[in-house]
Amino acid sequence: MNDRPVPLTVVLAADGSRCANHTPAETRSPSRPGSYHDERGKPMSSRCAPRWLLAAFLTILSVGGLVTPPPAEAQKKVVNIAAKEPDALDPHTSILGQTQAIVRFMYRGLTRFAIKNGKVTTAEVEPDLAESWTLSPDGTVWTFRLRKGVQFHKGFGEFTAEDVKFSFERQMNRTPGTRFGVNLEVIKAIEIVDPHTVQIALKAFDPIFLLRMVGYQQGYIVSKKAVERFGDQYKWNPVGTGPFYFDRHSPREKVVLKAFDKFTGGRPQIDEVQWFDVPEDATKLIGLEKGTFDLLYPEAVTADFADQVKKMGAVIDRRGPGSQERFYINMTKPPFDDIRVRRAFMHAIDRKAIKETLYPGDLGRVASSCLPDGYFGHIPMTFPEYNPEKARKLLTEAGLPNGFTIKNYFISKSFFYPKVLTLAQEQLRKVGIILELQVVEHATYHENIRKNLDPFVLYGGTRITDADPWLSLFFDSKEIPDPATGNKGTNFAHYRGIDDLLAAGRVERDVKKRAAIYAETQKRIERDLVCLPLSDVPGQWARNPKRVSTPFDPDYGEFSLHYSYNYPEMLKVLN
Amino acid sequence: MLPYLVRRLVIAVPMLLGAVSIVFFALRILPGDPCVAMMGDQATTEALADCTKSLGLDRPLLVQYLDYLWRSVQFDFGTSLRQGYPVSEYIGRMFPHTLVLVMASAVVAALVGIPIGIVSALKRRNPLIDYPLRIFALLGLSMPVFWLGILLLIVFSLRLDLFPLIGGGDLDGVLAMIRSGEFLSHPADFLAGVGDVLYHLTLPALALGFTLAATVSRLSRSAMLEVISQDYIRTARAKGQLERAVVYKHAFRNMMVPLLTIIGLFVAIALTGTVLTETVFTRPGLGKMLVDAIGARDYPLAQGAITVFTMIIIIVNVVVDMLYAVVDPRITFK
Repeated sequence: MNDRPVPLTVVLAADGSRCANHTPAETRSPSRPGSYHDERGKPMSSRCAPRWLLAAFLTILSVGGLVTPPPAEAQKKVVNIAAKEPDALDPHTSILGQTQAIVRFMYRGLTRFAIKNGKVTTAEVEPDLAESWTLSPDGTVWTFRLRKGVQFHKGFGEFTAEDVKFSFERQMNRTPGTRFGVNLEVIKAIEIVDPHTVQIALKAFDPIFLLRMVGYQQGYIVSKKAVERFGDQYKWNPVGTGPFYFDRHSPREKVVLKAFDKFTGGRPQIDEVQWFDVPEDATKLIGLEKGTFDLLYPEAVTADFADQVKKMGAVIDRRGPGSQERFYINMTKPPFDDIRVRRAFMHAIDRKAIKETLYPGDLGRVASSCLPDGYFGHIPMTFPEYNPEKARKLLTEAGLPNGFTIKNYFISKSFFYPKVLTLAQEQLRKVGIILELQVVEHATYHENIRKNLDPFVLYGGTRITDADPWLSLFFDSKEIPDPATGNKGTNFAHYRGIDDLLAAGRVERDVKKRAAIYAETQKRIERDLVCLPLSDVPGQWARNPKRVSTPFDPDYGEFSLHYSYNYPEMLKVLN
Repeated sequence: MLPYLVRRLVIAVPMLLGAVSIVFFALRILPGDPCVAMMGDQATTEALADCTKSLGLDRPLLVQYLDYLWRSVQFDFGTSLRQGYPVSEYIGRMFPHTLVLVMASAVVAALVGIPIGIVSALKRRNPLIDYPLRIFALLGLSMPVFWLGILLLIVFSLRLDLFPLIGGGDLDGVLAMIRSGEFLSHPADFLAGVGDVLYHLTLPALALGFTLAATVSRLSRSAMLEVISQDYIRTARAKGQLERAVVYKHAFRNMMVPLLTIIGLFVAIALTGTVLTETVFTRPGLGKMLVDAIGARDYPLAQGAITVFTMIIIIVNVVVDMLYAVVDPRITFK
């Protein structure tokens, strides 16, 4: 074990209650013992205090709700978010959605997604911590001019080229705990030209290098001084240049962030962000209606969830491209090594019915390609239409007139997996393909699909919005999982049909030609029938519009990655 | 009594060791790689190998096991693989929340369940009393704590705004004041802190306590039925004692022995129940932490939590065994 422990120096003092959200450790004033304020800094109202007393039915009746808070406290603008607890606040160390969502409040990258015509797009990037950049004629050396005067949180000084070099090299060197070094493998060397200029030499031209520099996963810039000072404890002592700085973490309760006065884009209007650990969507909804929470990051947005949000007058912020749910068919595993069986499988699956059951109406879209809409290079693909009759005919032609049975088909008990598979199981049964489902824990599922135990694999996810990382991850032959070699890749189709195109795409500098290459990859995938996309599901957060506003349209006003709000500093508290 | 206690505690050591060993190997047998869980599908094979090495999971299982035992003896359960916090400190923070929840729900279950069980047994021939009480017990048994919890939150937190929606109150602050002796110098603050904890505890304790009360009432009923059919009860009645005296002086004291046995089981059931209760009421605690740790294959955290659970159950059983002698003078320690 190399990791040194992080001391637990935090307080366990959280409460989301609107009425009596007094957390003595935070708000008790030594000069005024027993005075409590709610999370928005308001005093416990006289309406609330008697209820508290009544409710607690205790003898300690006279201490709460007696004193008014200082004026500054009373006016504090606080946004309360109900989500899951992040597992770390070092942006390079976690793949969890909630972690990636919260670190966006604290960190920035050299580039960011551009705002065009009032919308945030993933198609173009614009300067963020970098002021400008140039590319050498051979396409292998990027020179970034860094913005001057950008400050790190908590007095860690000015952001410089040292921090850029350090942030990338710690990942490239696979410092224990870092996760995204693979996305920087294209870098050969990083050289500091002067404190505000950094040169990054690549092993070869990389068409998506500026996308890699976006504030997301590997692209975030951390403070070198802070990481060196805190070591392994940096996980819970994050220091970035974003609009909010880390204040404290109460494990299993909440993370508190505060507005950074010296944020380069100006101090955010919100004074404080309280990120509560609320695992249950039902509790989140009750909290939204009650006013305890302003923003919800739900586990899953079901039709019922959306209905309830609508009924209480809240809105759902939908953000593309979101996640895609899809089947990969292992083309090496009988009987799916016969393309007729793969075609029969696709004819048997009613994608529209699955999408409408899980994500009715606007909650999702029937996926149109194995490379989701919103990713560079996407083109609509054609898939065998739902036709059980044709499926049965094809199975007969393939020598399987009575269909076949798949025993011990493993499926995760979490997220969308069991729901999709239950529907698919019924649809497949109609053409004679019997699935004997074994519902297992999510971690077990991941282990089993990498052992190639399932002949077709249901999978989902979000990646950098370009064809290369996506297609490389799921269709490059280097990613074929193999227990014998320990390869735990994600080419579950065991597909080898587009390696040449992927290699060509990685060195192509002409945008149109790159697009043509990826169009061709999708056509080959379409021809070989190894992937069946089901639903494109946007990233969705519920928001109380009377409390918090965002300048972007709730309906796809932003394209974002794991975080739904590219620019948390633009969120505003309305009252 | 002391030799008995020492003997029981000595016996508890191999029990604990056995439980800890089973947990250690069971977690390793479970499919699922902590590194894949942490690093996701973007991790290269090399990066996964680095991760495995840095967590010490590349060592032979026996070496890992012996290392774990040696550390555990020194109360060093390692650090959480995910969050990096020291496990013992983490558990130390979570444990009081779970403990107060179990204790509070035990109080609710006892206050509700035992009287219902007794009345139901004594009035078993009166369907107007017995049937509603038995229906109550059935309701409690068939109502999942999760569902009841949501219901309580909707009614008492959302609609009536009487209780908070989430959190565990400032238990940490209260404990800190006790440790520092500050509760004597700032009694108002201390009482407010205690009130805050109880205020946050009310709905979770009711939800968990009510579902457990059903079990307690059924078991109390059968214990009471057995006792009141004994000869000495008939004799007491024949002597002309008041029914109240028969029940409280003779029957109730004698039903305490089977009831105490139930309490031993009850703690285990309550600990299991804390998982859902902590989840729905968004309380910090060991139950939910354990489930999350197993899901994430956070071995040190899961092992530490299960060790604590095992210790609690062993201690409760020892205490219950000792209480037998207190409530029933016929039982002696040998």
